[in-house]
Amino acid sequence: MIQFRDGFYADIRIEDRSRTVISYKAGALEEMRNRRERQAFLRVYDGNLWYYASVTDVDHLQKTLDGLYAAASENPRILGDPVVRRFEKNRDSISNFADCSVRDVPLKEKQALLLSYLPLLEEDSCVALPEGHYLDRNSQFRFLSSLGADIAYDYQTCGLAFSFSMAEGGKKFSGHWQKGGTRFDDLQGLTEAIRGAVREQTYFLRNSVPVEAGKYPVVLSPEAAGVFAHESFGHKSESDFMLSDESMKDEWQLGKAVGSPILSIAECGSVPGSGFVPYDDEGTKARRNYLIKNGVLAGRLHSAATAAALDEGLTGNARAIDCTFEPIVRMTTTYIEGGGLSFDELIAPIEKGYYIKTIRHGSGMSTFTIAPALAYEIADGKLGRPVQISVITGSVFETLGLIDGLTKDVELLSFVTGGCGKMEQMGLPVGFGGPYVRISSMNVQ
Amino acid sequence: MEKEFIKKTEHSVTLNVTAGKIDSFRELEKTTGTVRVYENGLIGVAGCLGEPDEEKLTEQAKEALGFGIPYPCRPEGALELEKHQDEEIIPIPAFIPTMQAFLDRLGELCPRFALSHKIRLEDDRTEYRNSAGRRLVSTGRSISVELLAQDRGSGNLFDTFLVWGGDHFDADELLSYFKMQYDAFCTPADLAPGRYPVVAQAESLYGSFMQHFVGDLYAAGASLLSGKLGEKVFSDKLTIRDDMNPSTACGTCFFDAEGCVAEDCRPVFVKNGVLTGLVTTKKTAEQYGLPNLGSADAPYDGVPGIGFHRLYPEPTAQSLKDLVPGKAVLAVVSSGGDATPDGHFAAPVQMAYLLEDGVLKGRLPQLNISGDFFGMFGKDYLGAVHNDPVEGEMLIAVKMDVDKI
Repeated sequence: MIQFRDGFYADIRIEDRSRTVISYKAGALEEMRNRRERQAFLRVYDGNLWYYASVTDVDHLQKTLDGLYAAASENPRILGDPVVRRFEKNRDSISNFADCSVRDVPLKEKQALLLSYLPLLEEDSCVALPEGHYLDRNSQFRFLSSLGADIAYDYQTCGLAFSFSMAEGGKKFSGHWQKGGTRFDDLQGLTEAIRGAVREQTYFLRNSVPVEAGKYPVVLSPEAAGVFAHESFGHKSESDFMLSDESMKDEWQLGKAVGSPILSIAECGSVPGSGFVPYDDEGTKARRNYLIKNGVLAGRLHSAATAAALDEGLTGNARAIDCTFEPIVRMTTTYIEGGGLSFDELIAPIEKGYYIKTIRHGSGMSTFTIAPALAYEIADGKLGRPVQISVITGSVFETLGLIDGLTKDVELLSFVTGGCGKMEQMGLPVGFGGPYVRISSMNVQ
Repeated sequence: MEKEFIKKTEHSVTLNVTAGKIDSFRELEKTTGTVRVYENGLIGVAGCLGEPDEEKLTEQAKEALGFGIPYPCRPEGALELEKHQDEEIIPIPAFIPTMQAFLDRLGELCPRFALSHKIRLEDDRTEYRNSAGRRLVSTGRSISVELLAQDRGSGNLFDTFLVWGGDHFDADELLSYFKMQYDAFCTPADLAPGRYPVVAQAESLYGSFMQHFVGDLYAAGASLLSGKLGEKVFSDKLTIRDDMNPSTACGTCFFDAEGCVAEDCRPVFVKNGVLTGLVTTKKTAEQYGLPNLGSADAPYDGVPGIGFHRLYPEPTAQSLKDLVPGKAVLAVVSSGGDATPDGHFAAPVQMAYLLEDGVLKGRLPQLNISGDFFGMFGKDYLGAVHNDPVEGEMLIAVKMDVDKI
């Protein structure tokens, strides 16, 4: 039983994490491990400074907590501190995966599933280096605070990731495909999807042509649109960037027009998948937050400290990649809301442009960049040849204003590799997605 | 049966900075243990978080042999070597007041900048032992100042970085280095589109191409370099190493995850334009008949995999002026660049300075830079120089197409 002291705010976050990694390369087993880690992150706040400790000895947390108390200064008015006043005092227990935990699936069964798909990578002779990975994670979280919060919840992802470097007649291409889910059963029955992805990418290797650099209309797939939303505007909505420069509050006033009137970007931690965060790492309950609503700046993402500094409400976005780090303002699942068109209607008016189907990576500041993997020409309203594009770039605000078409259908995606990086905390699991999005002009290289 | 034992201890103290003020203190200590056993061409690995029980880990590693993971290699032979870089940089009780005083002075010198992010002290210890008689110990300490600078009123998440790392802290030297950047930042500059020397950290220009140096990809014929080992494919001026030498890579462990110690602790991939090695583990080197340069990495409970620490292009010039006389672009923030499968590279440069005869002249608008793989490493490669006073950091210069965004 943890004993919290008066005169301080304190919280403790404990994670019991199980991870499985099974990897094959060129038909040979490369890795097979099941890691189990228990760690805790403790915070004490005295109204002036935060004191943090990360420990692996979760059986003696009181001693670590007492050490942090000793470093801090007692503050009789701590409960009136604007940050402390914002903390929620939730008490809840959520168990979504008790009956389907990947911890209960034998390692051999996971290995057999992966092995069943590997031959699909070698059906075409141009695949030079096939690689396959099975990855899963099950975490049991517990959060306790000196204000009385007591939350337990579980988190689970599992998935398959394949890469297949191809070479033929001097042409090279790195093929990729992955499927993320939350239950082991989600990974069954993927044969045709994997075969189709390999075939499409071998065709790309053989037939893709270099793009002619310039400015063109561009259509983004839900994957590319999700990355665009995350990189172009999601990071800008993380309020910790607003704390150092007072003038940011004027620049980023809610209600300001920031994009096309058809554009709405939302963010929510309660969406099932890799960005599922029912309570953030400060114990704040997830809720849906609009970042942009009908082209207008509608909200931003907060921790308790940023919400207090900007005198706004909590959003449930204080997250850390694990119990090594303190929570900072991060995204969960970020997506563009749908419009009213079908895909065919979306591309119909484009005489010459490009469709970005999959991406390698994206990043964004005032200028955003997306590095496409699979891309196709759009000619006279129809999809055409595969094209090689190194990057598409643009000014964030200019591009947000140039969105002129959205499909009805929205797809939200989960992932088991990669993740979001922010300064020292890399690889945070997030979700993203959206409809197919048409942008009237982008810089294509 | 042969065996390796590895114990790593990482200790760090990190200060968070918001609006030029320190607002948090984080202390982290993490110990991990690893035992790998090798028998009949297989590897078994066990690892733990926390103080390792070698006997227990050994039993677990023996059990893991049952997974049947092929690894037909023997641990490196007998060698006893220790390298210590453990001189105290700043006593921990003095860390907050020292750094707050530094931040206060920096804020006065650079009033347009709103500063945030981290200042960190780190000390790490890695011990490696194997049954062939090898025993290596590496300790390292380092300090890093990583500040995001927002130009007040710009509305941007950040406008530039003020970043420095080393194994000692000299406030005056660092303030002078940051002030030089601040003065250039505050001076608008321009550049007509064209072909210019672009000066940057090696990773930002060459990072997208590192996959082509991976041994597996090379052997599979899927690298742009496949079949070129031992051939001269790049500029005579280009020598690229992986920097594991504590004299330039502060705090770095001088041996790799398999206990390999490279000559000068800097495995060489390209020497005077000749491709001399690829990124491998002992296993992939053996499998494909490639030289093992010693740059493997491994999770504490995992099979060794390929690793890469920090690019070290060998210096070819004494100063920036010698390297790039005349006009050049110093790319400070370039995020999001990538290359097509055939090696065409393009990247936005979000923050760049105009250099004239090696001197920072002013801040350029956002740029696009582009080039191609063999050109950037070949005819367009101009050389490398130490980025004083950032200890160990190297800047390279490459002639590239430069355009405004």
